Amino acid sequence: MPMRLWLSYVRRTPLLLFLLGYTVLTGGPFLWVASMSLRTTSEIFANPYGLPRHPHWANFADAWIGSNYSTYFWNSSLAVVSAVAGVTVIGAMAAHCLARYRFRSRRMIRFVILSGLVLPPQMLILSLFQILLDYRLYDTLPGLSIVYIATQLAMTVYLLEGFFSQIPQDLFDAARMDGYSDFEIFWRITLPIGVPAIFTTVVLNFVILWNEFLYAVVLMTSDDKRTLPLGIMHFMGDHQLDVAMLATGLMIAIIPVALIYACFSETMIRGMTAGAVR
Amino acid sequence: MAVVSIDRLSKQYAAGGDFAVREVSLAVADGEFMVLLGPSGCGKTSALRMIAGLEPITSGTVSIDGRIMNQVPAKDRDIAMVFQSYALYPHMSVRDNLAFGLRRRNVSSSEVTRRVQEVAGRLGLMPLLARKPHALSGGQRQRVALGRAIIRQPKVFLFDEPLSNLDAALRVGTRAEISRQQREIGTTTIYVTHDQAEAMTIGHRICIMNAGEVVQIGAPMEVYRNPANSFVARFLGNPPMNLLPAMLEPGGDHARVFLAGMAFDLPHWPIGGLRAQLNREVTLGIRPEDLYENSTRLMPTLRVHVRAIEPLGAETILLLALGQQNHELVARVGRETSFRIGEWRDIALDAAAVHLFDASSGRAISRPAA
Repeated sequence: MPMRLWLSYVRRTPLLLFLLGYTVLTGGPFLWVASMSLRTTSEIFANPYGLPRHPHWANFADAWIGSNYSTYFWNSSLAVVSAVAGVTVIGAMAAHCLARYRFRSRRMIRFVILSGLVLPPQMLILSLFQILLDYRLYDTLPGLSIVYIATQLAMTVYLLEGFFSQIPQDLFDAARMDGYSDFEIFWRITLPIGVPAIFTTVVLNFVILWNEFLYAVVLMTSDDKRTLPLGIMHFMGDHQLDVAMLATGLMIAIIPVALIYACFSETMIRGMTAGAVR
Repeated sequence: MAVVSIDRLSKQYAAGGDFAVREVSLAVADGEFMVLLGPSGCGKTSALRMIAGLEPITSGTVSIDGRIMNQVPAKDRDIAMVFQSYALYPHMSVRDNLAFGLRRRNVSSSEVTRRVQEVAGRLGLMPLLARKPHALSGGQRQRVALGRAIIRQPKVFLFDEPLSNLDAALRVGTRAEISRQQREIGTTTIYVTHDQAEAMTIGHRICIMNAGEVVQIGAPMEVYRNPANSFVARFLGNPPMNLLPAMLEPGGDHARVFLAGMAFDLPHWPIGGLRAQLNREVTLGIRPEDLYENSTRLMPTLRVHVRAIEPLGAETILLLALGQQNHELVARVGRETSFRIGEWRDIALDAAAVHLFDASSGRAISRPAA
């Protein structure tokens, strides 16, 4: 018996080694940044890999108040939360229609929406800039939010349509016979059953948009309207490099993403692996 | 309580394409249990979905109590349907599944509670009310689906192959349950199935469909005894009726049949009405249970080669080959058989139970009155 137990350990060793390596590779940089966020810049330059001897928790207060991170955080929250809410509602409705109804030019509409998946942002950025200028939305948070909704719609519709189309048609027929209208069916059947898929898109969209840089840097110019990634960038000037502030800013930026992931990861994995709805 | 009538109902899914349902006419009386029976793809489910209002009608009419329903949306037809997949809402408890349809119809919450209790009691769902569908067995899901239809107190019940996802043992029990519930409630019911045993046991009348058309409508035993054509003859009954090519000749005042090199009289078929069929090829039909291992009466016999024996416990199925042409013949005999595989034996046939069909059209040749 002990022999067999020992053998099973041996057999599992390569897998464990791989997982260990992977964890170091992904967790290591995070822990490094976390430790830097509690040190001063001079400490870091003296010994880049050292651990914080006397943790400088005050770094966070300095960053939050002194370095405008509170404004950036608030701007990011506004733009991203409203964009995620918008793209989820619009995307879910579009996905429901594409998955459920056979209407004229359905394939065309689907193609137009999903073609957003393959368009590189660099191609869109100039035209978006011009459109936002025309509509007086340039350098405004609502403008950025609308751009975010537009850019994330393709992926959202793609993911949700795949999930919604697996919901058996009988459920919709049953709800129709029970007297529910098309919108009520969307609201009371598709949405609750699609919760795992919707969470998946919420988390993915949140993470992608929270870290979004290109659109923000082109479409936002005023300092008081910058989002977090731009704010962090602020500490990487040509002549100065405040590494500790940078690390603190990164930690502040990571916290919401980590929280969202911690809360919804299980639902999200269910959404990504869900096959049939039964 | 309602009368459902369908008049020349047709369905084409693509313009210019084949008809899934062609000119189907049918009247279901108040409180009647009508079964639509046919092989898969025969159009029975399409017909049912048109009655439900889930599928647009290409031509013809569906009316309930004399009111034409073609343009009435599904929700306003006062019809409840049980689906093959049960279609229980997976995110709702059994209680909410039952109440979902009532809530939409502005039934007061106290009345909803009362009806849920009543239906749950009737179907033995009381201990399951708080469970979600995924935590139920197939039979329990089936009962919830049935309950969801009953609770609405609709004019008409529609069932779309509701038992096909259940295992054989459960199917028999649930079949009886559906039949009992329908008898007690007395709601007009249309039930779609491809299982002839289900149709025979459950319905007041059977409507047999094939290739989108109605072939025969009648009470189960009436259809079984007098199939309108060779399709119905083979579709009803398990094992199906044996169909064999034969020649019809006059044999005095009654018909005489030549079958696989043998000849015997059909004393119940007077020659008078059969003139058109004489000296022509016909299809002779004989049910497996009308073949006998031992001829106790004065019965004609056929020389057969025993190919296989399938003991089923209560009865035995014999797979036989007839004459030199090797026509396949199936017989259903008692529990024990003296036949052995590979033997040549005589098997007796009840000449009174013979059916005759036109060889080309398959239509039944009606037995002339004596």
